[in-house]
Amino acid sequence: MNGMRQGWLVARREIGERSRSRAFLVSLALMAVAVAAVLIMPALLKPGGGSKDIGLTGPTPAALAATIGQQAHAAGVTARVHHYASLAAGEQATRQGRVDVLVAGAQRLEWPGRADQQLKAVVTGAIQLVTVRGRAAAAGISPGAAAALLAPVPVSSAELGHVAGRSPTDELAAIIMTGVLLMCISIFGSMVLTGVLEEKASRVVEVLLARIPARALLAGKIAGIGLLGLAQIAVTALAALIAVTAVGSLNIPAVRGAVLAWAVAWFVLGYALYATVFGALGSLGSRAEDAQAVAGPAQIVLVAAYFASFFMITQPGSAAAKAISYFPLTAPLAMPGRIAMGATTWWEPLLAVALTLATIIGLIQLAGRLYTSAILHSGPRLSLQDAWRSTTAAAPTVTTPAPSATEAGTRTTTTARPRARTTTERRTTMTTTGPARHRLLKTVLTGIAVALGIAVAALTSDVIIGVAAGAVFIAIANMMVRLWTGHPGPPVAHH
Amino acid sequence: MLGFDGATKRFGSVTALDRCTFAARPGRLTGFLGPNGAGKTTAMRAVFGLVELDAGTVRWHGVPVSAKERARFGYMPEERGLYPRMRVRDQLVYLGQLCGRGATDVGRSVDQWLERLGLAGRAADRLDALSHGNQQRVQLIAALVNDPGLLVLDEPFSGLDPIAMDAMGGLLAELAAGGATVLFSSHQLDVVEDLCQDVVIIEHGRVVLAGELAELRAKVPQRFVDIRYRGLAPDWPELAPVTVIEAKDGRARLRVGRDTDVAALLATVQDGTDVVSFAYQPPTLSELFHQAVAA
Repeated sequence: MNGMRQGWLVARREIGERSRSRAFLVSLALMAVAVAAVLIMPALLKPGGGSKDIGLTGPTPAALAATIGQQAHAAGVTARVHHYASLAAGEQATRQGRVDVLVAGAQRLEWPGRADQQLKAVVTGAIQLVTVRGRAAAAGISPGAAAALLAPVPVSSAELGHVAGRSPTDELAAIIMTGVLLMCISIFGSMVLTGVLEEKASRVVEVLLARIPARALLAGKIAGIGLLGLAQIAVTALAALIAVTAVGSLNIPAVRGAVLAWAVAWFVLGYALYATVFGALGSLGSRAEDAQAVAGPAQIVLVAAYFASFFMITQPGSAAAKAISYFPLTAPLAMPGRIAMGATTWWEPLLAVALTLATIIGLIQLAGRLYTSAILHSGPRLSLQDAWRSTTAAAPTVTTPAPSATEAGTRTTTTARPRARTTTERRTTMTTTGPARHRLLKTVLTGIAVALGIAVAALTSDVIIGVAAGAVFIAIANMMVRLWTGHPGPPVAHH
Repeated sequence: MLGFDGATKRFGSVTALDRCTFAARPGRLTGFLGPNGAGKTTAMRAVFGLVELDAGTVRWHGVPVSAKERARFGYMPEERGLYPRMRVRDQLVYLGQLCGRGATDVGRSVDQWLERLGLAGRAADRLDALSHGNQQRVQLIAALVNDPGLLVLDEPFSGLDPIAMDAMGGLLAELAAGGATVLFSSHQLDVVEDLCQDVVIIEHGRVVLAGELAELRAKVPQRFVDIRYRGLAPDWPELAPVTVIEAKDGRARLRVGRDTDVAALLATVQDGTDVVSFAYQPPTLSELFHQAVAA
């Protein structure tokens, strides 16, 4: 009996028990229908495509109707011109929506509702052209010379930072895809979290661990729930593909087979990463109510990764977008968007996959140790510190609280360096400096948060995003400290 | 044969098992006794690798226990628990399969056990739809489903009504008679005394008394005499060197030496007292337990 077979049995139970639940089947259908609807809807809501009805009334130059037709054609719109004998008749037609704009005496545009900017430009351009031609003729300029004078100057436009051929529709599609990825990673990751907690709370875990190793149980659980997630995202991707194919006129390069295949692959990676973390953190709790407390930081990181990706969709070629699409914790949500926007060269996704995979392998090692040592603990919620200590109980080592924070401190800010060193020294010499240590930790963390906020603000040239990044960092850091020490955060310093 | 050989486990400053050495033999029921916190659960968990020993080993037929052997063990933890929302039969088949057996093979023994414990009609019900007593039965089947050669049960009698207790005792005795090694912990010393051939008593993680129950009782130099009488009590001081433990309301319990002349004692008591019953016996398990733990 090897671990693989046992893991597979665990996975099969997860699939069997969960796929039977009505909630799962409903969510499977709902997400596919919702995504397909969002892709089909714009095509259905655009009646008649690009054809417009234009009403003319009052004294108008003879050439206006023809010129409007030409200008509209140049803008990709088919114009149908209607003549009305009186302003009243024209306004009535406008109010009834029979025309999209009424041109009154070649001087006033009347709209049924809000002005359509594109149509306004077409009609105004035509009026300008006709009027200037009339004035040229009055000044004795021959029609040929006037045409030469009025020949349009070719002005080309380039959208730097954007990729040619990608429209706001593509951005929307990429945002939807990233949102679906977030939902799937979060839904199925939470299933792992609550599944681990339920096994602990119902005590079945001791019966299971008497038969199979803890790692096989965790791996089987993650794999089983992951396969369900894969089914969900594959069905959703297929629905998107079918929807786009069905609405043939809608040209969305962001929704292609290759892009969707990448999205599915990134779900697998993102899920593997976050589910591993959720599984390990779940083992720290004892009851279902502990879920929020133990997994809060990871959930915030996941949502922050989504928002970072969301803001970067419109500038997929920027340095910030590149950075978050390589960083393993954000890559599963940021890279698919960049791929969809066509902003990646062939090796970039592969590099991000390699980085994410390496992180997953590291996390599996960590999670396996943590889960094994914490899963049989019952009673009050374990602190990460205690759980970690018991994994290394054989060789007593000096464990440092929130090592990532102190490390980051020494690396980023020069002022933090001597402070961090003092912390280490103090810790080794005297162990009862709790409040002082916490004050110091809080100061260092706040410093890092400010630095991070400024850096992000500078990088994105958006102060609000910078402030948000700093705030998110502080929130995560505080929750991490709480998780690590097992008591409610660093005490507030009284000055 | 299950053997603990110098098993030691520390949790921080607490020593849960301290060079714990004892054996449980096949074909016999071994009662595992000790006050709360003596280390019984830790020792039982160590059999299944749920606790990693700091020193010493647990052996099965002389070989350190490996994952392969554990698959043929049955375990009922003190903290009972199964999947509350899973169907009874599915759950038991799943647990049997985790021990390495094929689905049809496990299915057959699950059906037999369900039938035997009167749960055949509940096979397709969710576990949480069952009564507490029936859930306990399912938990027992979970431990028995792979026909274990070794059965380790942590407090199998706690929470059972007298009828269920008898049924559980009968079942365990039957399994032992079939050749299984059965080790179980309990605080109900009278149950253990009735059922077990062997006992192990531990305190502070150390074995303080272990062996065949009858032998342990016989080895103690004291004997006890229980007398019931009507009317006037005998003149106790006259009976010296007998120690009177208690005497009131027509009952008396005396402690005597192993070499006491019982017939002479009876004759002395009967002289002037209307004796209803007279019993001469070695100490009860409860007395052995208190003696061992107090020492």
